[in-house]
Amino acid sequence: MTDQARLFSEVRRGMIPAHIYNDEEIFRLEREQVFGRAWVFVGHESEVPQPGDYVVRRVLADSFIVARGEDGRVRALFNMCLHRGMQVCRAEMGNASHFRCPYHGWSYRNDGRLVGLPFHRDAYGGEAGFPRKGQTLLPAPSLDTYNGLIFLSLDPDAPPLHDYLGDFAFYLDYYTRQSPGGIELRGPQRWRIRANWKIGAENFAGDMYHTPQTHTSVVEIGLFREPKAEKRKDGATYWAGNGGGTTYKLPPGTLEERLRYVGYPDVMIETMKQTWSTAQLDVVGRDGFMVSAASVFPNLSLVHNWPRVADSEEVLPFISIRTWQPIGPDETEVLSWFAVDAQAPERFKALSYKAYLMCFGSTGMFEQDDVENWVSLTSTAGGAMARRLLLNSRMGLLEDDTEVVAPLPRERFAGPGVARVGYGEYNQRHLLERWADHLEARA
Amino acid sequence: MSAHSAPSRLGGHASPIQRSGGSLPFSDERHLQAHRWLVDEAYLLDAQRYDAWLELLTADIHYLMPVRVTTALGAGYDCAPGMAHFDEDKYSLSRRAARFCTQHAWTEDPPSRLRHHLTNVRTFATADPDHLVVDSGVLLYRSRGDVREPALISAGREDLLRRMPGGTGWLLARRTILVDDAVLRTQNLAIFL
Ligand code: FES
Ligand SMILES: [Fe+2]
Repeated sequence: MTDQARLFSEVRRGMIPAHIYNDEEIFRLEREQVFGRAWVFVGHESEVPQPGDYVVRRVLADSFIVARGEDGRVRALFNMCLHRGMQVCRAEMGNASHFRCPYHGWSYRNDGRLVGLPFHRDAYGGEAGFPRKGQTLLPAPSLDTYNGLIFLSLDPDAPPLHDYLGDFAFYLDYYTRQSPGGIELRGPQRWRIRANWKIGAENFAGDMYHTPQTHTSVVEIGLFREPKAEKRKDGATYWAGNGGGTTYKLPPGTLEERLRYVGYPDVMIETMKQTWSTAQLDVVGRDGFMVSAASVFPNLSLVHNWPRVADSEEVLPFISIRTWQPIGPDETEVLSWFAVDAQAPERFKALSYKAYLMCFGSTGMFEQDDVENWVSLTSTAGGAMARRLLLNSRMGLLEDDTEVVAPLPRERFAGPGVARVGYGEYNQRHLLERWADHLEARA
Repeated sequence: MSAHSAPSRLGGHASPIQRSGGSLPFSDERHLQAHRWLVDEAYLLDAQRYDAWLELLTADIHYLMPVRVTTALGAGYDCAPGMAHFDEDKYSLSRRAARFCTQHAWTEDPPSRLRHHLTNVRTFATADPDHLVVDSGVLLYRSRGDVREPALISAGREDLLRRMPGGTGWLLARRTILVDDAVLRTQNLAIFL
């Protein structure tokens, strides 16, 4: 077995070579094999509601203008001038019918078509010498959406996004389709952390085990009633399609009572009842599980929590969507958005935003303690000793690889995929298995 | 710099008082008091004495730090619409402070070494003699651990100071922090500016 084959087989049995969290060679492979192929989240249609609206987003080092054309269609255009390669758009967001390159002045419509070249006749012999027709900023090789979430892939042969998400789409609806109007996204807050991108994705996918320890303080100050150890071990974790996540077990009650318990007002509950499928409603109302953190391979994460935002017993749910954008083996840019149902009452939107700020994002009181751990882990993973250490990511497996607890039967968990109650690192292993599959695949 | 409480989604409760006229002479008693207030506050924030800091804030404080974005010159805005890093009232600031006082706020245990460098202070009168508007620049140096790269956060601030009821001291009634980065280069904002 080559060193690399050995590495991937260790990963597959849940023993993780520690240096994968800070290694130049691994990062080079990830750039090509993961981020060169996978669907990567870049934004939401609600960020560019009007024709001409645009945001500029990256897939690793590649900058794309995500713009809504005059025809209402959203496109992603590689942000590099066809002439000599200048960045055509240097703002992060705005509204423009055209982008004019600052270097020599070629100009493009917001659908990417080249429309103007200074001195076209003298310099190029006009249309006869250099026809503008067919000249367009390079479109992203693949673009697809789900519930308004915009994903890009650098692979022109990427499978349809819905196939890629697979059964995870069932769970994505809890975060992004609480009404037919879907969500609106605000943000993102952006900041750079000296941590490897995989750590956050793994943590959100399934690390319910860290909550009672890492997040003790938010319970002590009355922000959140749930992270206590007893609460977390009763939740289920599920893996479905290309993603997985954690849930909390809700107190006994009807669907309505359980949605009220996490703070949804009745008008939103009514809409959810009309929007979600029977199985989606059953996970909450019949089985008593409420989604919390989740990740989609490779680097999209979601979170749904319900803290107190004022000195009262009332709790307010919020949703955050984020990407862990790799900068290098030991550095990640976090883009963290606040998401809220577009049809929610204005008061709910404001308080849910408040809940988000208090818990997650650049100032969030949960997130602050998470990142401290990840920075520390990453710097330690860069040394020589980390190459001799296999990290234990086998929670939920016995010595002989049988599972500590059986999957929940469909009568106790109505959602697709495989779900289990209790502590386990099933999802972290699933995520890293996907990762190993990508790194091993050779085109 | 204009006050940003109005466009913020959570700033409805904030005092709307604005500056009037040009900056006060540096010899003006009101400027001297405002400057001293900011220097004293900087020492509290350096020392992470957040219980004492909270007492310097009015009950109706609005503490806002918008998310800065790069936009074209003519765009007319340079903050992300509807999003901020901090958009706080007294209750949420009190929870943040209380968290640092628990034994389990790991991000600040061991604590950062902090230095709030304060500069470019100028003071403005308002229509109400009990309120002053103060602009300042702040550069926070934050060092964690022994060999980690330190973080720098540069920001401009606009503060509204309100005279303590019946007293001579001042309280902070409103603060807008315009950070000079679109992408923050620090692991979190477990600090105050
Ligand atoms: S590089 Fe864009 S016009 Fe020359
Ligand atoms: Fe966490």
